Amino acid sequence: MIRIEFRGLLKIGVTAAVGMMAALVPGAAEDFGPVPQIETNAAQVELGRRLFFDKRLSGDAAISCASCHDPARGFADGLPLSAAYPGSLGFRNTPTLINTAHRAAWFHDGRLGSNLNDVTREMITEDYMMNMDMRLMQERFKQDPVYVEMFEAAGYGEPSNGGARKAIPEFLKTLISRNSAFDRGELSPSEQSGFTIFAGVAGCGTCHSGPRFTDDRVYNTGVPDNPEIWRNPMRHTTFVAYAMFMGIENFMNIRRDPGAHVRGHAADGSDVGTFLTPTLRELTHTGPYMHNGVFATLEEVIDFYDAGGGDDPNKDRRLMPLGLSKQQRTDLVAFLRALSGDPLTGPEFVWQDPIPTEYDVIDDWRETPN
Amino acid sequence: MLKGHKETLISAVALVVALPLFAAPAGADNNPPLAPLGDPPIPADNPQTPEKIELGRMLFFDPRLGGDASTACSSCHNQEQGWGFSDDLSRGYPGTVHWRNSQTVINSAYYGKLFWVGAASSLERQAPSAAKGAVAGNGENDVMEARLAFIPEYREAFRSVFGDEWPKIGNAWRAIASFERTLVQTDTPLDRYLRGEEEALSEQQLRGKALFEGKANCIECHNGPMATDERYYNIGVPPAPRWEEDALAQITFRYEQYAKGVTEELYRFIKDDAGLYYRTKQKEDMGKFRTPSLRYTLYTAPYMHNGALWDLTEVVEFYNNGGGENEFGHNLSPLIRPLGLNDDEIEDLVAFLEAFSGPEIRMTVPELPAYQPLPDPAE
Repeated sequence: MIRIEFRGLLKIGVTAAVGMMAALVPGAAEDFGPVPQIETNAAQVELGRRLFFDKRLSGDAAISCASCHDPARGFADGLPLSAAYPGSLGFRNTPTLINTAHRAAWFHDGRLGSNLNDVTREMITEDYMMNMDMRLMQERFKQDPVYVEMFEAAGYGEPSNGGARKAIPEFLKTLISRNSAFDRGELSPSEQSGFTIFAGVAGCGTCHSGPRFTDDRVYNTGVPDNPEIWRNPMRHTTFVAYAMFMGIENFMNIRRDPGAHVRGHAADGSDVGTFLTPTLRELTHTGPYMHNGVFATLEEVIDFYDAGGGDDPNKDRRLMPLGLSKQQRTDLVAFLRALSGDPLTGPEFVWQDPIPTEYDVIDDWRETPN
Repeated sequence: MLKGHKETLISAVALVVALPLFAAPAGADNNPPLAPLGDPPIPADNPQTPEKIELGRMLFFDPRLGGDASTACSSCHNQEQGWGFSDDLSRGYPGTVHWRNSQTVINSAYYGKLFWVGAASSLERQAPSAAKGAVAGNGENDVMEARLAFIPEYREAFRSVFGDEWPKIGNAWRAIASFERTLVQTDTPLDRYLRGEEEALSEQQLRGKALFEGKANCIECHNGPMATDERYYNIGVPPAPRWEEDALAQITFRYEQYAKGVTEELYRFIKDDAGLYYRTKQKEDMGKFRTPSLRYTLYTAPYMHNGALWDLTEVVEFYNNGGGENEFGHNLSPLIRPLGLNDDEIEDLVAFLEAFSGPEIRMTVPELPAYQPLPDPAE
């Protein structure tokens, strides 16, 4: 029943994303400013932060949001392909959550373009993500006196699914890049040269525009396949479950991630293999790269674009070999590194107190309203 | 035998009529007699074949038919625990506990409806409910079906048994149901006695049988070949003690109210399992549960829908005391009242109840085939 709700929202989400995209025309160099901070409610953030680190939000209480979105790894996981819920393995790279609140669409395929409330629900309930029945999750919260107090303090009343789906996004709004060399205006000569190449001859800024260095649109750059997805049944089963649910045709026989085809379903298949432009913020913390983690280093990424991208019949025509010199490639990588700021690993981002794995008994249970 | 049975029953009725408030309802002597168990019914749309049964047997033991690939049918229907689970409440999915007692799979083939309040109309429908429930298997169709496709032995078996190009999850439940229809026991001491083998029951068990059909009036509900009328009663089983003592059980209790869609008022104040009410939403069905079979009960302790009674003697004593108390007292069955059995009679009755079970049914756990990568059709 959660699924049906999702189907309806998807349509609305895509419409909203298209609307936002119109406003995000690729920017000029001067548009690459610091990522704006977002005003938040402290009590709601605090609740969201605890929820984010609480394993009891997954079906078998084995993983939390932070299991794959680790603050020490730029709120990603450092793996080529994500780990997923026990019993499954992921078929895509875990994206960073830093600056995620500014996005116009989420997931590498952009299948949700509405808001983080929906994204939160999707992550918690999807069977290969956290596989949680949110009705049970609500009752877990209600068993924890700390949550009873925190939901109340956050203005959400008693613990509820709805409150959790608001509080986690509120916490995510605090994950904003800060203090990168680029934002401080302290680029070295090599980094400065890299920026010039980035915004100029290499044309990276065409898609990687705006303060987050992404236009939130989808493109096919011909990223090579990651054969590990098809070699490992634990990953391939996850892909099949996803494809089955997303209505992808011929899903047992394809061996290529169709990407944002799931939101456009172009009849001629021209959107197969398109993926959202990722942010370039925090790259030093968030490798490996690309939707399938196929590149381990930024050098490999630059080499990929220098060669004009990969091999795909639907590849964006603007991708052409760049003919960059070794020095230019080095400078580009240096510039990309300068887009990473302070790690968000302080107590304002990481829940500090131990979160119990067990629950307190409600002693006067018979007299306590449920 | 039927005649004798009637006479005994009438004398039992005469005894209880003297008690205040309730008399036995008219027609009590129309109960079907205990009878030997024949072959289980096989649905026309899911015939038994040896290959299907073997596939079902493997799937029954396969934890990949569950959310995190840890919980198989056999986790809560454990052959070493009477094909049920030897705790008051079933173990549930990791991170949870269930809220009802796990029933034995043995002879489940004969029930018209499955689960404690008959929520599933067939074994084919029971299996997915259990595999998918958040406090049971917590699986989802898409992931479970996808997993089956990556096990070559299953691909082969589903193709051969069902003609599936790729294993269909619905056919997994059909195969499991077929396997479960082989888990039957039709040669208990009682079956043998009822087929004419007079020495199959001891003298004590025969005394117990007379009480069962007479003074104790168990036959009123536990009748026919399965020793159940498959009707629903509130016999006053008290709430599970764990709802007062166990935080996980408290969570699941509230979850069940929420998930079953009761009114908010009921959600706030209910402290016991309302049973059949969740299906019918009729107040007069609160606290009612289906009469369970008495077959195989030698191995399926504890007893009752929430495992409140830990051995058969406790069960008999419970009835002898006129049942217990729960918050649905207004629906308490009028059939439940003190029986006036003495200690010897209680022992005789327990001895007879043991005659509903033959030897334990055990089998080798099948070796489960592993996942294999799927060949790329383009290569």
